[in-house]
Amino acid sequence: MLTYRGPFYIELISVFGNNVRNYTSTYGNANKKLFRIFIELSQNVSNYSEDFHLINNESRIGVGELNLVEFDSHFKFTTKNLVKKSDSKILTNRCDLINASSLMELRQLKREQRINSPGEKFGARIGLIQAVMLSQNKLEYQCEDVDDRFAYLSLTVKIDKN
Amino acid sequence: MENISIKSSPETPYFPEVNFDAGTGICEIAGESYMEETYKFYLPLTTWIKEYISNIKGRIELNIKLIYLNTSSTKCILDILETLKDYEDNGGKVNVIWFYDKEDPDMIDEVEDFEAESGIKIEMRELV
Repeated sequence: MLTYRGPFYIELISVFGNNVRNYTSTYGNANKKLFRIFIELSQNVSNYSEDFHLINNESRIGVGELNLVEFDSHFKFTTKNLVKKSDSKILTNRCDLINASSLMELRQLKREQRINSPGEKFGARIGLIQAVMLSQNKLEYQCEDVDDRFAYLSLTVKIDKN
Repeated sequence: MENISIKSSPETPYFPEVNFDAGTGICEIAGESYMEETYKFYLPLTTWIKEYISNIKGRIELNIKLIYLNTSSTKCILDILETLKDYEDNGGKVNVIWFYDKEDPDMIDEVEDFEAESGIKIEMRELV
């Protein structure tokens, strides 16, 4: 349906997201969930990718990839971005924790993290939890080393059509 | 104290429409909220509410008509709700009303979480 590689500007994310929302408007369950997961994971790339553009020496726009594929019964949305190798274990452990948690446990985790997050430019840091709570499917992830400093993190969320 | 009025635009659908009225204490946030650097957008709104509480000390009615907000925006909305809860605990009159779409159970869960996290009562009204 959609593949993109480059900087994740908000203007672009918004246009892509709204096109996805319009295209899936007949899928009651998937429509709102897909749009919300699309925005959340895309903004993760924009905020946290280690490959980024600096605008006016201030705003940081992450570079990465996204891929949205439609199947008969579901959609699969994947984002990929560069991470520090030193962070990759923390991130995959976080994915494992999210995947091992029930919906109620995720809701509790989300509340705790939101209250305790530093806020401001760091945001709420609950995007992955939110994506799994919305989809009610496990996160699929892969982390492949690029060199001795960086790895490429791939995150996939499955969104059922009904 | 001046009002805040931010109009929505089809070119920037990630910014919500905002109307904060210092004369009536009625504050409204509507539309969608998923801009970059969320805290920069919400800081003047939180500051306005704190100034209203300090200077005018009147009743505040916060009407939220957001159909989508990203997780960064939820942190900023929670900060506003916590400020209002402090005001209420100190004798201020506060009403928070969240207008929701009955076909959107995820948003209803979100509002319940806001209520639990901030401790403030949120009245739910169906969007018509």
